[in-house]
Amino acid sequence: MKYALFLGCKSSGHLPAYELSARAVLGHLGVTLIDLEFDCCGYPARDVSRDAFVVAAARNLALAERAGLDLLTLSSCCFGTLRHAIRFLGEDAALRARVAQALAAQGLAWSGKSAVEHLLQVLARDVGFDVIAAAVRAPSAGLRVAAQYGCHALRPSDVTGLDNPMAPTVFETLLSLTGATPVDWPRRLDCCGDPLHQANAALSERMTRAKIADALESGAEAICSACAHCHLRFDAVQVDSSDPPIRTLLYTQLLGLAMGLPAKSLGL
Amino acid sequence: MSPAILLSAFYASLVLCALGLAWRASAWFRLRIGPDARDITWSQRVAAVFRGAASALFGSRILRLLAALLLDVLLLRRLFAREKLRWTGHLLVVVGFMLLLLMHALAPLVSAKLFPGYQPTLDPYFFLRDLFGAMILAGLALLLSGRRADFPQRRGLIDWAFVTLLVAVVVTGFLFAGYKIASPRAFYRMTEQFIGSTDPVKLEPLRAVWASEFGVAFGDLKQPIDPDLMEQGRKMQRDACASCHSKPASAFVSYPVARALAPVERSLDAGRADVWLLYLHVFACFLGLASLPFTRFFHVVAAPVSLLVDAAAQDRAFSSAGRVAQRALALDACVHCGICDSRCSVAPVARYLNNAYLLPSYKLGATGALARGRLPRDEADPAAEGAFLCTDCGRCTSSCPVGLDLADLWQAGRGDLAAAGFPAPAQWVQARSALAWAESLEADSAQHPLVDADAAFAPLSAERRTFSRCVQCQTCTNVCPVVAHSIDAEHGVDLTPQKVMNLLRLGLRDLTLGSRMVWDCASCYQCQENCPQGIRVADIMLELRALSVHRLGAVRGQREPS
Repeated sequence: MKYALFLGCKSSGHLPAYELSARAVLGHLGVTLIDLEFDCCGYPARDVSRDAFVVAAARNLALAERAGLDLLTLSSCCFGTLRHAIRFLGEDAALRARVAQALAAQGLAWSGKSAVEHLLQVLARDVGFDVIAAAVRAPSAGLRVAAQYGCHALRPSDVTGLDNPMAPTVFETLLSLTGATPVDWPRRLDCCGDPLHQANAALSERMTRAKIADALESGAEAICSACAHCHLRFDAVQVDSSDPPIRTLLYTQLLGLAMGLPAKSLGL
Repeated sequence: MSPAILLSAFYASLVLCALGLAWRASAWFRLRIGPDARDITWSQRVAAVFRGAASALFGSRILRLLAALLLDVLLLRRLFAREKLRWTGHLLVVVGFMLLLLMHALAPLVSAKLFPGYQPTLDPYFFLRDLFGAMILAGLALLLSGRRADFPQRRGLIDWAFVTLLVAVVVTGFLFAGYKIASPRAFYRMTEQFIGSTDPVKLEPLRAVWASEFGVAFGDLKQPIDPDLMEQGRKMQRDACASCHSKPASAFVSYPVARALAPVERSLDAGRADVWLLYLHVFACFLGLASLPFTRFFHVVAAPVSLLVDAAAQDRAFSSAGRVAQRALALDACVHCGICDSRCSVAPVARYLNNAYLLPSYKLGATGALARGRLPRDEADPAAEGAFLCTDCGRCTSSCPVGLDLADLWQAGRGDLAAAGFPAPAQWVQARSALAWAESLEADSAQHPLVDADAAFAPLSAERRTFSRCVQCQTCTNVCPVVAHSIDAEHGVDLTPQKVMNLLRLGLRDLTLGSRMVWDCASCYQCQENCPQGIRVADIMLELRALSVHRLGAVRGQREPS
C-alpha cells in the first residue's frame, strides 16, 4: 500500500496534528506515504474560474501520475475537488485540451491513471477492518462520538463513490473499531458551514452551531472529523463561545490513541 | 586631492544615511496596514516594538535569536535548502562586501590595527582586495541570472539603483587600482617618498624592474633592457620597495586592467586620473552610503530588525500594536527573492489566470502600495482576486528566508482591500439585489446571448438540456441547509435553488447571476444528490458563481448602488 499524501492547505497551514497523526497511524498500519510537490487542490479557484480550478487539480493529478501513485487525501474538500476535476476532464474534451496545454507548459500531462482516495476509503478497503481491529490495543472505553464525514466525501455519490450518501456506515464502523460508540445524530450529513465563513459569516456560524448542538443533544462527547475543514470549523466557533462545548477529534488521533501510540505523536 | 572635501562628503553621506534610516524606520510606526491599525497610535507601536525587542534581546530567547540571525539572515539556510545557486550568489556578495568593507574601506580602523604589517599593496592583501571585489561581481551575476519566475519582475529604480551602485563601487575600484599599478606618476611619487629621488637616470635600474615585473607603463624606457641593469634594479627594489609592495600579478583583476590601460596610461597620468578616478570610486561609495536607506540595500537593516521583532512576537504578551508595526517592517525586509512564490499553493492558478497578485511577493507589493495609497485603480481588482483566492496554507510564511509573518499580512491586506471597496466577490455581488444586477446586465447581455462564448466557461448553465428535465418539485430547496438556516430577512436567500433552476429553464440566466443564493451556496451537494431528475444543481450553482464574477465584474463600475 503506497500513496502520494495529499495534505491540503488547511492541514499544512492550520492543522499540523492531522499530518502528524495520519503519518503515525498509517505508518503503523503499513501504508507508505510519499510526498510530492502538491499545490492547492483547486477548490477556492472554482469560485472564479472552472478552468483554473481544473488546471490546479490536474497539476496535482499529473504529479501523482508521473510518480506512478494514487493520491490519499486527508480532507473531504480536497477529495471532492480532485474527483470533480477528473469528472470534468472526462466529460469535456475542449476543457481537456485547454488543461493539457497548460500542463504541457510545466512539462506535465494528465491521462487519468492516478486515482483519488479518501482516508476513510483507504482505511476501510485497503488496510481493512480486520487489520485495524488487530492493531487496536487500548480501545477507548465507550467514548460517545459523532462522526463527521464532510459533505464532499459523500456527495455527489456518482463522483465520490465513498459510501451510501443517504445512510453511510463506513466512518461509524471505523469508529467502533477504536472502542468508541458512534452516536446517531440527525444532522450528521449536514454541512459544517465552513465553505460560507467568508461569504456569509452569520449563516455559516448558525450552521456550525446547529450541528454542535445536535451532536450534544444526541449524547455525543466528541465530534470526530475526517476533514480538516470541518474539524477546524468546529474549533473556530467554540472560541470565546458561551455555548456548551464539545470535544473535537480527528479520526487519525482517535485511532492512534486506540493503537496505543503516544499522544504527542498524534499532535495531542 | 583634498582630504577636506572627501571628509566633508563622507560626513554628508553619513548624515544623509542616518536621516534616511530614521525616515524609513519611522514608516514602521506610521504606515497603517490592516483594519486594526486604525485605532493604534504610532507611540503605542513604538512602545510595543521596543518592549518586545528588549524582552527578546535580554530574555532567554537571545541564543535562539542569535542562531536565527546567523542561520536565517546571514547564511540564509532556507534559501540554501531550495536554491543553491542563488544562495551561493548571495553569500558571495555578503562575504565579499563585508570583508572588503573591513579590510579595505575601514583599513585604518581594522586591518592596520589587527595586522601590524598591513599594506594594501602587499600580499596577501593585494590579492585579497581583488578577490573580495570579484566575489561581489560574481555573486551579483549569480543572483540576477539564477532567478526563474513565471511573471515579469517589477524591478523599480530602487532595485536597480542598489545593484548599479554596488557594481559601480567595485568597477571603479578595479579601474583605479589598475590605473595606479601602471602609472609612472604613482611610481615617482613612491620613489620620492621612499628613495628621495624622481631622477629617471638615477632610477633607471628600478624603472627597468618595475616596467617588466610590476607593470608600470613607462613610455621612455630604453629597450631591450640590459640584464645587468635588471640585476641592479632588483637589488634596489629589495632594499627600498619590497617591504610594502608585492608584485601586482597577484591582484588578478587589477593587473590585467593595468595591462589593458598601459597604452593610454600617459594620457591618464596627464589628465590627473589619480585624482578623478579616486574621486569616482570614493564618491560611488559615499553615494551608496547615502542612498542605503532608499534602495533595496535597506533590507540589511530591516531584515535583522524584522527577525528580532518576529522573535518578540512569539511572546503572548506581544500586543496588536507590535503586530501592526511588524507588517510595515515586513514590507521593507522583503527583497522579492521569490522563494515564497515558488512554494505558493495557488501558483498554478496564478499562472492560469495570468494574475501575479496571487503570488506572495507580488501580493506583498500590492498590500504595501494600498497602505501607501499608491495602488493604481486598475490593479485593485487583480490584487483583490489574489488576496481572496489565497488558501492561507502558510507555505509562504514557513519558506520566507527572513521569517516574515506573511499569513498575518494577508489577513490585514484583505481587510484593507475590503475597506477600500474591493471586498471578496460574495460581498460585492451581494451588495446589490439580483434584479438590480440584471438591469445592469441588460445592455451587456446583447453581446452575451445564451449558449455562446460562455459555453466554454459555464457549459452546464449554457446548455438547456442540463435543466430542461426540471419538474419544479422543490426537492433541491427542501434539502438545502442554506435555505433552512436563512432565518433573517436581510441575509436570507432570495432565489431558492429550484427558482434558480426555473429561471435557467426559461433562458433567463442573467436574472440568476446576482442572486444571493449563488454566493450563499455551501456546495454541500444535497440538492444534486437528492434531485429526482438527476440535475447537477450544485455544479450549476458553482458555475454561475464563477460566471457572476466575470459578467457582473464587467458592469460593476458602471452603476453603483445609490
